Amino acid sequence: MRSHAELARQADLLNRSFVGVLTALKWLFGMSALAVAVPVVAYAQNVKIGVINSVTGPEAPIGENLTNGIKLAEEDLSKSGIKLELIWEDDTGKPQIAMSAMEKLATRDGVAGVVGPYTSASANAVAKLAQRYQVPLLVPAAAKEEITRQGYQWVFRLNAPANVYAQVLFDAVTELGKPKTIAFVYENTDFGTSTADAGKKYAEKKGIKIVADEPYSKGSPDYRSTLTKIKALNPELVFMVSYVVDAILLMRQAREIGLKPQAFLGGGAGFTTTQFASDKAISNLVFTSTQWSDDVSWPGAAEFAKRYNAKFGKEPTYHAACAYASMMIMADTAAKQHGDRAKIRGALASGSWKGIMGDVKFENYDGYTNQNKHPMLVLQIQNGNYVSVYPAQFAVKKAIFPFSGW
Amino acid sequence: MLVFVILAALVALPKLVTNPYALHLMILLFLAVAMGEAWNIVGGYCGQYSVGHAAYFGVGAYATLMLLQYRQVAPWWGVWGAIAAALMISVVIGSICFRLRGPYFVLASIAVAEIIRLVVLNWKQFTNGAEGILLVDIPPLKLGQTLITDWLSKTPFYYLGLALALSTLLVNYLVLHSKLGYYFQAIREDQDAAHSLGINLTFYKNAALAISALFTALSGVFYGLYIGFIDPPGVLGLDTSVQMVLICIIGGIGTILGPVVGALVLVPLSEVLRANLLSKALFVLGLVKETSRLGNFLKENLAHAHVLIYGILVVVVILYMPDGVLGFLRKLLARNVRPLAPSSRPVVGDLDGPA
Amino acid sequence: MRVLLQSAASGILIGGVYALVGIGLTIIFGVMRVINFAHGELLMIGMYLTWLIFSSLGIDPFVSIVITIPLMFVFGAIVQRTLIHRVLNALPQNQILLTIGLGLVLSNLVMLIFTSDYKIITTRYSSSTIHLAGLPLSTPLAISFLVTSVITALLYLFLLKTDTGQAIRATAQDRDAAQLMGINVSWMSVLAFGIGTALAGTAGALVSPTYYIFPQVGSAFTLKAFVIVVLGGMGSVLGATLGGVIIGVTESLAAVYISSGMKEVFVYVLFLLVLLFKPSGLLGRSRM
Repeated sequence: MRSHAELARQADLLNRSFVGVLTALKWLFGMSALAVAVPVVAYAQNVKIGVINSVTGPEAPIGENLTNGIKLAEEDLSKSGIKLELIWEDDTGKPQIAMSAMEKLATRDGVAGVVGPYTSASANAVAKLAQRYQVPLLVPAAAKEEITRQGYQWVFRLNAPANVYAQVLFDAVTELGKPKTIAFVYENTDFGTSTADAGKKYAEKKGIKIVADEPYSKGSPDYRSTLTKIKALNPELVFMVSYVVDAILLMRQAREIGLKPQAFLGGGAGFTTTQFASDKAISNLVFTSTQWSDDVSWPGAAEFAKRYNAKFGKEPTYHAACAYASMMIMADTAAKQHGDRAKIRGALASGSWKGIMGDVKFENYDGYTNQNKHPMLVLQIQNGNYVSVYPAQFAVKKAIFPFSGW
Repeated sequence: MLVFVILAALVALPKLVTNPYALHLMILLFLAVAMGEAWNIVGGYCGQYSVGHAAYFGVGAYATLMLLQYRQVAPWWGVWGAIAAALMISVVIGSICFRLRGPYFVLASIAVAEIIRLVVLNWKQFTNGAEGILLVDIPPLKLGQTLITDWLSKTPFYYLGLALALSTLLVNYLVLHSKLGYYFQAIREDQDAAHSLGINLTFYKNAALAISALFTALSGVFYGLYIGFIDPPGVLGLDTSVQMVLICIIGGIGTILGPVVGALVLVPLSEVLRANLLSKALFVLGLVKETSRLGNFLKENLAHAHVLIYGILVVVVILYMPDGVLGFLRKLLARNVRPLAPSSRPVVGDLDGPA
Repeated sequence: MRVLLQSAASGILIGGVYALVGIGLTIIFGVMRVINFAHGELLMIGMYLTWLIFSSLGIDPFVSIVITIPLMFVFGAIVQRTLIHRVLNALPQNQILLTIGLGLVLSNLVMLIFTSDYKIITTRYSSSTIHLAGLPLSTPLAISFLVTSVITALLYLFLLKTDTGQAIRATAQDRDAAQLMGINVSWMSVLAFGIGTALAGTAGALVSPTYYIFPQVGSAFTLKAFVIVVLGGMGSVLGATLGGVIIGVTESLAAVYISSGMKEVFVYVLFLLVLLFKPSGLLGRSRM
């Protein structure tokens, strides 16, 4: 039984709490009002493009390449009279946050188009939203095939999808020798799984037996047991898909354990960074497939690399080139179409460009929609440097095969 | 009373404000409130601090989304699957964890959640593993022949979220003012004394957990349907568990409105920081020149710093506002109005922690 | 058989590192009953400190430990005095949240200062191996195992033979009784946290030649550290050592024989079993 005084006190407290809550709610409404009130559309002079990237989080080191590539594009665009207003969004490597960012760019910021995200998981999630909100989306470097296999008219992808990563590596290696067995080690994320799956399909097609299939959780520092297990099975090829940290750790520990296949195949990302290559003890003779390299014969590729190096003090990865090209294409198209989303979409679908990524044309084929048929290269790390070895028209040096050991 | 005014305003909001981003913020807010209130039942009232609540959240989300995506079961039926799964798991987890006390219980709850996360992550055929489930489309909701919603705009989610948040508030209210709530709080204050008075610890702790798990799972279902994408780190990770606890702690645990305040603090804060609105505000107000060194530094780094500020906020709240923001506001208001007689309900933060 | 031996061997070496992290935590946990969720971040700071010393002064990571240990100790003492001290009597949930917040602050501050670029310490022997009974073992890991053993032995001696050490143990056993006996328990708490931090930092330093250094590296270690502490017995240094090695080996074998994705599940299941059936752990006192 509660006394009257107590009830009164409770009611009083409750009232006062409500005042507090109401004040807070007012503040919140005020914020939303601010969000709505701030002028949102200004297509006339500037070209407003949104960028979703992994600025922080585990993929940040590669995300940095995308950021820098876009910054170089910004410079070049302003030289040709296009004033770019970029809205940067950090997805921290999480698809949910990428989706949130996309919502904001599409509905609140009124961007003409979006470039990004970086990771496969984020790109796939955001593609759906681009289609729903009808905002042109240009994906620069995400590998997951599904992204452009869903019939989304508003989603475009510059880079070659995962199956090409695997395909080009296998084509290169089967030209050099006749390996019969293969082991897969990959991180169990969207990127790792889809690239490994593509690899497995291709291995089967080429008649190479899969002796080990080892997904790992990224970030856990010790792969020795997994590698020991693989070593015992004596595979002739080892196919790895990792982002930065794990690529280096995997190779270090592979060396430690004494894993010695005929070739190490690195499926993109972590194996394409200079950080990895410069660690000569562990990176030598690793094959990796890439979207771009600075010694490839596409117009402006070498100059881009020099300029990037001069401005940022390090070598660019293919992600930088992809992002640069994507931004150039998107911004140029957006400027020509005066920021009209539907017209931009149309122009992207029908246009063609030539630049540091070679010829770019978004086509529909084999179940892909708006996919650029980008040829990938196989690089091999020889003595700390990336050297293009396949296909023949891009090859600069001959590949060294088989792996000569540690 | 004031309540009805607020309710009316909330219900009417989508008619007046159509900007999807504003609605999105409100939906996130409702979700945060629901999560916090659900946790409050077992953590705030019953004193069992589970930092593994993501287990229920994720199981709820996965159950419904898997049924929808792979078996085309509409979510309004699929949600029952989520509830069943969450209740089952809560019984299992309860039977394992409730034998432990204090920090051991906390650790066990975390371990269990991690186990569930890893199982879901590795059970690829069942759950699609690390790639998560990206929802295709939610079937339109029809009553007879009339279309209620096709789920394509934010409005249905707004009302659903509002309903969810309100129902968790209602449950909190009902529990607090019932015998159940009495027993829960007795267990929280002194487990052994409660036991010696004849309160069946196992039954009541599990009851608290079951109710909490049910609503946490519903929040998970709502999250999955609204965001349209779930993956193990997103819905089963430690971050999610911590966030639920944070909402409650920062607001003020053991109170009905605490989690609401917590949600009001955390959701706008994280959006404002992440989207760089804070720096923009500073520039617009003229406090910092955009092109100055400080301005550039802020522009470049403040967005990355949102997690840092989050962490600092947590530390500050724990150290200086142990009753949460709500408790802090109350004390502030109390001092300004008239001196209150000591409340009959013991203030949670003052007691020595269980050793 | 080779695979079994190889994986057991790497498990033991890794276990040594885990053990060091666990010992630090058990001392903190034992003396203050504080769940230090920032323990992994303390390890991370140790790694960054080592990297700084290595890249600016060129001192080998195993040698720079003599600088790292005192610095980390002081850091830990400061953290204890300013933050942890104030929540010693608060609810465990508040303590946990405080340390989680602390962890977030530490890892994000480091990220702002050093960026999230991965840092490498590459020494002459980073990728080399030594051979023991025909099994290749990572040289840096082997060295760190040796150093860990030495430090553990020294610590054990300190706790058993010196007055201060015994005072710490007394405080861990029963804080009030210790205080009644005239032990300055708040000073003990400072010491304990300082030592715990120093050990975590040292573990980070020892491991830096073989792992990668980035701001989020700590989270992988924190929960595992707790498993080790509970497994070994709260408050028991020897227990934490044993626990570390057991967890290292369990993880290693699970990765080889079951699946590397599920290896942590075994660690956590083991954890739950211990909590349920032998909560005092292998060597600890019985306390729920």
